[in-house]
Amino acid sequence: MEPVKILGICCNWSPYASFNAAERAGLDTPADFRLVRVMCIGRINQALILRAFEFGADGVILLECKDEDCRYGPGPEIGHSNVLRVRRLINLLGIGQRRLVEASFFAHEKEKLAEAIRDFTHRIEALGPNPAKPRQEREAS
Amino acid sequence: MKLSDPKIKQIIRQRSLYMCLECGKCSASCPRMTAGKEYSPRLLAQKIIAEQEDEAFIENSVWECLTCALCEERCPSNVEFSRFIMDMRALLAETKGLTGYRAHDGALHSWMRLMTSPELKQNRLGWIGPELRTAAEGPVAFFTGCAPYFDIFFSSIEVDTLTIVRDSIRLMNFLDIEPVVLAEERCCGHDLLLTGDTENFKTLCLLNHAELKKAGVKEVVFSCPECYYVFSRFMPEIVPGYDLKATLLMDLLKTEIDKGGISFRPLEKRVSYQDPCRLGRLSGRIEEPRALMNMIPDLTLTEMENHGRSANCCGNSGFINCDAYSKTIQLERLKEVKATRAELLLTACPKCMIHLTCAMRDPVRRGSLKVEIRDLASLLAEQIEWSEEAKTLRSVKA
Repeated sequence: MEPVKILGICCNWSPYASFNAAERAGLDTPADFRLVRVMCIGRINQALILRAFEFGADGVILLECKDEDCRYGPGPEIGHSNVLRVRRLINLLGIGQRRLVEASFFAHEKEKLAEAIRDFTHRIEALGPNPAKPRQEREAS
Repeated sequence: MKLSDPKIKQIIRQRSLYMCLECGKCSASCPRMTAGKEYSPRLLAQKIIAEQEDEAFIENSVWECLTCALCEERCPSNVEFSRFIMDMRALLAETKGLTGYRAHDGALHSWMRLMTSPELKQNRLGWIGPELRTAAEGPVAFFTGCAPYFDIFFSSIEVDTLTIVRDSIRLMNFLDIEPVVLAEERCCGHDLLLTGDTENFKTLCLLNHAELKKAGVKEVVFSCPECYYVFSRFMPEIVPGYDLKATLLMDLLKTEIDKGGISFRPLEKRVSYQDPCRLGRLSGRIEEPRALMNMIPDLTLTEMENHGRSANCCGNSGFINCDAYSKTIQLERLKEVKATRAELLLTACPKCMIHLTCAMRDPVRRGSLKVEIRDLASLLAEQIEWSEEAKTLRSVKA
């Protein structure tokens, strides 16, 4: 199986608390999974998700708070509308909508979060590397 | 950038900057300067020749230019300012990794770079309905450009650039041309060129050329002036053995109309026209679009204060440096449209349409600058018809 690059973009609040707890509890998370922590998923725009693919990601998962749980207000809603639009763009590009997902968690859901990351990693491994990878990234990997 | 970089001297010489008289016509014309931005083409020319130690000034100024070529138009010494800017950006990108301040956080540049993948398998043809006749192979192609991507990315401002593409193909179908539309067409790379990303720009040029050749294409038709600009000016320099013919849709129409048999349904409307920089000044099509508009009976073309060779830019190019000054340029442009009392604003570039539509939605103006905006191709596609004699002849033939 070809190695794949997976990026998680994680909200600092509930999902990161879960992620932290999952790591401390020694729950199994994939070794080559990279995480970027942001203060709120509403801070992520279409460009930043696209850039992850431009820089060679094979899959991107957005880890968000539940709607009613957002510390700032509309974070998950903004995240959701961005995901919908970027999905349409990466569908045009032939990257495939399945390479971009979002999932929301409460602060205590460490098992659920670890499982979501594992499932996503397995899915991307099954799909293989992203076909639309700029030449520079292809040479680097 | 090293002061001694021999490439700078070469650029200065090649783009005729030594010919500068410092008359200042460029700065007095520059839309960004007249909008209040502290940016002066004249001063940039002076600094790059005589005061290269002011690197910060030079590096900032190089990214300010809209490459709208209004300064070039008025320069008495024929300084090629827009090409100078492009060369400098390429140099600064290569030596210092500068990219300019990219609008929309660089999302558009990202998808353009993603398209440099040779293994790309796009799903970009979903917009072709049964009413359009297109082909996978043949001698004539239509280049759609980024329209399918624009319409998704800019869905929040409700622009519809795919309609321009559909209407262009309708016009070609009307002329009995079934154009090739490539499934793996890539961005023409114009915005990468304008942000100095020469390497990826070249890759896109080569990939597009290879795809067109594979489909047996000899002539490519464009409605987007930026794609045309790239194919007619830059591709021949980049692609070895380049022999594709680049044709603007409006030129194709003019040729076909001159053969006779085509007329236009009347439309009683007052319209105004925004000259796209890359179509007007940079590709020299000033009279051509106006001639086509004048063929529509009852249509009144009312020109804006600045039009034709003096037309102002839509405020932004290459999706970099969109700021308050861009907005000022756009609002001033829309005020000029309003002053003509036109009911419809025509343009011939999807980007003019995107930028002006965005400015019309400025919440501070509360819709006071709103006006219907359409592409010239769409209007022509709606009004075109065969003349009575031609209809009879065609029915006999059929």
